[in-house]
Amino acid sequence: MIITDSCVGCTRCIPYCPSGAIAIGKDKKAHIDRYKCIECAVCFNIANCPVNAIVLEKLEWPRTVREVFATVYKEHKETNVPGRGTEEMKTNDVTGRFRLGEIGFSIDMGRPGVGLDLKDAEKLTMALAKLGVEFEPLNPLTFLMSDKKTGKLRDDVLGERIHSCIPEFKIKEDKFPEVFEALQKVSKEINTVFSLGLCVKVNPDGSVPIFKYLDQHKIFYRPNGKTNVGIGKPAAKF
Amino acid sequence: MTHTLHRSGTVESLSIDYPILVIAAQGINSKNSAPQFRKALEILLKHNPVNIGDMKTGNYFRKGLKPVLLSTKENSIIHSVFTNRKDLEECLKELRDAQLGPSVVVSGMLAEVWDSLKKIGLKPHSLNISLGVWGKTSLLPEQSILDITTMCGHHCVSPLLVKKMVSDIKRDKISIEEAARELAKPCVCGVFNPLRAEQLLEDLIRK
Repeated sequence: MIITDSCVGCTRCIPYCPSGAIAIGKDKKAHIDRYKCIECAVCFNIANCPVNAIVLEKLEWPRTVREVFATVYKEHKETNVPGRGTEEMKTNDVTGRFRLGEIGFSIDMGRPGVGLDLKDAEKLTMALAKLGVEFEPLNPLTFLMSDKKTGKLRDDVLGERIHSCIPEFKIKEDKFPEVFEALQKVSKEINTVFSLGLCVKVNPDGSVPIFKYLDQHKIFYRPNGKTNVGIGKPAAKF
Repeated sequence: MTHTLHRSGTVESLSIDYPILVIAAQGINSKNSAPQFRKALEILLKHNPVNIGDMKTGNYFRKGLKPVLLSTKENSIIHSVFTNRKDLEECLKELRDAQLGPSVVVSGMLAEVWDSLKKIGLKPHSLNISLGVWGKTSLLPEQSILDITTMCGHHCVSPLLVKKMVSDIKRDKISIEEAARELAKPCVCGVFNPLRAEQLLEDLIRK
């Protein structure tokens, strides 16, 4: 994003920026901090600049990474899915991606609203890769890995700041304590936040085994969540 | 894409917040699904939603109803937000009976959603739960702001905009209802709940 010289310094755009990247400069015009800007285009699309001073910049690699992880309606070329993750459990009634006895992890890095440097995403993916975790091949972050076995990201994207990304993988239930511990450790080493989500298939009797483990170990989980109601067709066999 | 999972707030506040999402599995039932998404939108609209949108087009508050309804695609992901269980249940019944193909996901208080599913003869198939926010939480804005901004899971609603709206309401520049609608605009998908936002803004103004 760029704010051109036609800016009249009205400050209208400033509160719309989710990254707090816009400020008034000494010249009394609005300026965008290039490091903080995650190319989400909220200022361009929503703020209604009275003089149309905000323009979309033609981005070049690796800055294009910011745009693709921030612009909601743009689908990723490799998955045809818009957003920053995959279909995960939302289509599990049709895909059968998560089976009984498996736990899917979706780690919303940078959320809520903090953003992250991709080098922090790499810290987390490399810590998890040491446990033998296999990252979801269709996840957009996995496409930025130069080595999926080690979780190493491409060197040329490590200087980029993005709105969020969602490392995704699934494990067998018995591996949960090990992965949980690794996430606790890496959470102290990163300069951002993540919102942690788990995906599971509900047992035919309505029980959810992971709840028992979380309750026994006094691990916090929210009372609200997402439920796939199982009416997608054709239904996957379980 | 766990963007309606991590909505924060009190149990009371979350009890007027039920987003529904309709999505096809790419490569399995996505082909020729655009008309099915339109039918799903028509069903959602019949049950008093407070927001509606398509991740590929935008939300009602920014785009208006017609563009959302007429622009469905094979990789659309459509959303709607309901504020009570009766509307949610009636809507889910109709979606079930329509046998459209794409998957349907409901967000909200799990005990309440599961009770509603039981009432209408549906069973939870798969579940996505939130273990909260980890890492350097000192970087987060205050919880009362997060309760509003987390209603846009992609975090396109800025904490600064919430503060601006509170300030504008206090100075009588804008009504609470107008402020809630303004906050709903950046949330492309249409999962922001403006009715809940009005209540949360009222709490912020009283502070």
